[in-house]
Amino acid sequence: MLQRFLDPAVLAGISSLDLVAKTVVDGFVAGLHRSPDFGFSLEFAEYRAYTPGDDLRHVDWNLFARTERCYLKRYRGETNTQLTVLLDASNSMKYASGAVTKMDYARYMAASLCYLALHNQHDPAGLIVFDDEVRNFIRPSTRQGQLHRLLAGLEQAEPAARTDFGKPLKHFQEFLRRRGIVLVISDFYEQPEEIVKAIEPLRFHGSEVVLFHVLDPKEIYPEMKGPAILVDLETDRRLEVIPDYVKTQYRAKMDAHLEQMKDRAQAAGLGYHLLTTDKPLDRALTEYLTLRRSGRTSGLGGA
Amino acid sequence: MGFLAPWFLAGVLAVGLPVFVHLLRKQTTVPRPVSSLMFFEQGTQSSTRHRRLRYLLLFALRVLLVLLLALAFARPFFRHKNVLPSDKLLLVAVDNSYSMNAKAGGATPGTRLDEAKRGALEAIAHKVPGQKAQVISLGGQMSLLTQPVEDAGALRAAVEGIEPGDGHGNFGELGRGMRAMAETVHTPMELDLFSDMQSSNMPGNFADMVLPGNVALVLHRVGETTVPNWTVESVQAPGQLVDTKKARVIAVIAGHRTPAATRAVSLVVNGTAIATKKVDVPADGRATVAFDGLDVPYGESRCAVRIDGADGFPNDDASNFAVKRADPERVLFVHQASDTRSPLYFGAALAASAQASFVLQPITPEQASDIDPSKYAFVVVSDVPSVPSILEHSLERNVENGGSVLVATGMAESHREHIPVYGGNVEDGHFYARGASESEDAGFATAGAADASHPAMRDAKGFEGTKFFYAAVIDPGKARVVARLADGTPLLVDKQVGEGHVLLFASGFDNLSNDLPLNPVFVAFVDQTAKYLSGEERVSGARVVDSFVQLRNPVNEESGNAAKGAAGSGATVDIVGPDGKRPLSLKEAAAAESFQLVHAGFYQIQFANGRDALIAVNPDRRESDMQAIPDDVLKLWSGSAGTGATEAGATESAAEATNNASSLWWWVMLLLLMAVLAESGLASRYLGTQREQP
Repeated sequence: MLQRFLDPAVLAGISSLDLVAKTVVDGFVAGLHRSPDFGFSLEFAEYRAYTPGDDLRHVDWNLFARTERCYLKRYRGETNTQLTVLLDASNSMKYASGAVTKMDYARYMAASLCYLALHNQHDPAGLIVFDDEVRNFIRPSTRQGQLHRLLAGLEQAEPAARTDFGKPLKHFQEFLRRRGIVLVISDFYEQPEEIVKAIEPLRFHGSEVVLFHVLDPKEIYPEMKGPAILVDLETDRRLEVIPDYVKTQYRAKMDAHLEQMKDRAQAAGLGYHLLTTDKPLDRALTEYLTLRRSGRTSGLGGA
Repeated sequence: MGFLAPWFLAGVLAVGLPVFVHLLRKQTTVPRPVSSLMFFEQGTQSSTRHRRLRYLLLFALRVLLVLLLALAFARPFFRHKNVLPSDKLLLVAVDNSYSMNAKAGGATPGTRLDEAKRGALEAIAHKVPGQKAQVISLGGQMSLLTQPVEDAGALRAAVEGIEPGDGHGNFGELGRGMRAMAETVHTPMELDLFSDMQSSNMPGNFADMVLPGNVALVLHRVGETTVPNWTVESVQAPGQLVDTKKARVIAVIAGHRTPAATRAVSLVVNGTAIATKKVDVPADGRATVAFDGLDVPYGESRCAVRIDGADGFPNDDASNFAVKRADPERVLFVHQASDTRSPLYFGAALAASAQASFVLQPITPEQASDIDPSKYAFVVVSDVPSVPSILEHSLERNVENGGSVLVATGMAESHREHIPVYGGNVEDGHFYARGASESEDAGFATAGAADASHPAMRDAKGFEGTKFFYAAVIDPGKARVVARLADGTPLLVDKQVGEGHVLLFASGFDNLSNDLPLNPVFVAFVDQTAKYLSGEERVSGARVVDSFVQLRNPVNEESGNAAKGAAGSGATVDIVGPDGKRPLSLKEAAAAESFQLVHAGFYQIQFANGRDALIAVNPDRRESDMQAIPDDVLKLWSGSAGTGATEAGATESAAEATNNASSLWWWVMLLLLMAVLAESGLASRYLGTQREQP
């Protein structure tokens, strides 16, 4: 029942991205409560001695009354992990065979992840929108109003220009100086080795990098009843193609591309997930929570 | 070539559909956006060439399909305007029925048949050189006298050889024959019918006369349409008589379109008029004349009732009948000594019957042991529980040779299972007086259904009022059940054994097991049964031309051996026709079961069972009415054949034009079917290559 709220086709009917994110995450979390394997509610972890500069709101005053020493209470939920979403906003993301474009799907995913990070996990969340340049950057933060800034950034991220991982990646290095989780959402219409070569440096800071490969189902299994003229959304180039080619060689090339993407990403230590726009969004959220709970990026310390 | 429904040709416009699908639609291809052309390759030229080569045939087939569909609905036909007259089969039909013996009338010499033959010869003489013709005679039956031949000499000989017939013409027979011929002959035919067009020749149903479409009917009327004619319509006379003074001959004199007149009617015996009476025949009416006493010598006599005075058709002024004078035939009545009632009742009824030509000889079984049954007209075994084996054997042999036995199974026989001569057993005895069932509360049963077509039951009116107190329950097997009781029990069963018959009465004649002997219907029943069993019924009276007479009993499974014995013993039949000739060959005489009486006059017949008979045959009296078929009916008839040729010389060309039109619908439909199959196969093949295989 709740899975319905994760269906992209249903979410397409909701205009507010805020509401989309809330619907997705609440539905997702409510679903998780039914499983004993996923408990991430705020729970007491340990006490830590007060050091100057710590927020006095977290001092356990009852303990101070008994022992006359200042201790801070630490909770598991407060172990913050910086989340940065890299969103591809190139023209190819406009493609849609159904109700949801790849860009919409990516937006929903990014919004849901940010909402989950900020609202449920109190993690700093940031956003980088790029095509062949970095078009928007919102620094990861937990400040008041961060979620609205992120959502506004997502709303403004209309597809334009073409993808080029080479140029914006230089800037990514500057923006991502702190360890965390980096999620790259794109359709990755580029050679796999170049993509991995461009993204791989993000791991050097110790961040976990996960690639979400968003594709339309008809891009994997295209249907063509007769010869047709195809227009490239990014370059406006036109090409007449026959169905026989689409059924045979295109399918083989696409399969090889996906296989290479997966192999190259795994070889470089990057997470890789292929998502089609007709699938629910829970895959991305689950991946985020799994990475976060694994503690590889941030342990219990580091408040 | 023409179209029966040309408006459907507007459907040809639908050819635009495949044109749009194949030629126009593909020109308006809308470019499809894709995320990237990274994995696509150019395929323009090869796909276009491929498409053209592939779909050209499919496009042509679809266009052809639409055209053929429109053509099929338009019902095309092709008119053979170049058909040669010699391709048309000429059928010359000459009516030689009995009425064609009448005078042609007017200034035309000879009879109507002569006039018809002259017309037929003229038609043959005017036939196109090289045209095939066939001669048909239409009397009681339709006969093809020649094959379709071009030889005018053979055709003329066939026409000249047509003899006057005594049969009754029937145009329904002509229609049936032509329809049968049209199933094998598909070329146009012209039927020239030479006839007096008697209205009595029309069948009861006009549809029987209708001719097939490829036959053009040309009618040639011969003779005058109105001919006053008196005729002896019917004669009622005994077939066999004992006392000549008691015999009575009643004749009906009819006039067709005649004025009121007095006619002299003579009774002729063996060529000599023994009595003459004057009778006043009303205008266009009937009169009855009776002759009391028929003084004929012993043996068979050839008699006739004849009216004097010539009219337009003298041939039907006499009506023949045969009379056999003989001493009363004896009937052997075997009964128990204690049973005195049965011979009394049966003998009284036999004596009271119309002609009293039978004498009953009652006898007990013990006395009958050495009697030869063949000396008796028939034998009655009345409620005898035990028949001496020698008598039963001689009875069985007599029946197989053509004799007849009437067996009554009364109450005395209820204690014995075997029925003598009949060959079956009494399964049970039904005493209705002791019955307890609902239907038997009255203490008796009544006769139920009776087969009026059987000679023994022909005049048995009032049979159902008879009360039965006892009836033997028998299994009729394959024997004919003539009468049943109300509860379904067989009462009278006729079983054929060899050449003879065994009639089984499942009750008695003693007035104890039923009250039939006290009922007036008993006399009629005994009279008819006696005539049937003695064989008199089979040969007495006069017959109509073209009727059949049964020469020997048909061979069936049950009595096959016996019949074979009779036939195998050289029991041939002998027939002498009115012309003194024997119409049957020796082979036919040894095997024929029936014979058709095709000529009027007297037939001397010796049957397979050895009995002799003289049979008088008269033409069908419907032929005496010379009234012709109205012209509008003839027009309707000739209009039903082809396009409406009417009388002689009518619109031959019009008939030819329409008869030569042949529909092309079936050919178009055949082509359409082939186009559909080809299109389906081709389209499924092309579409099959585009099927997605995810």
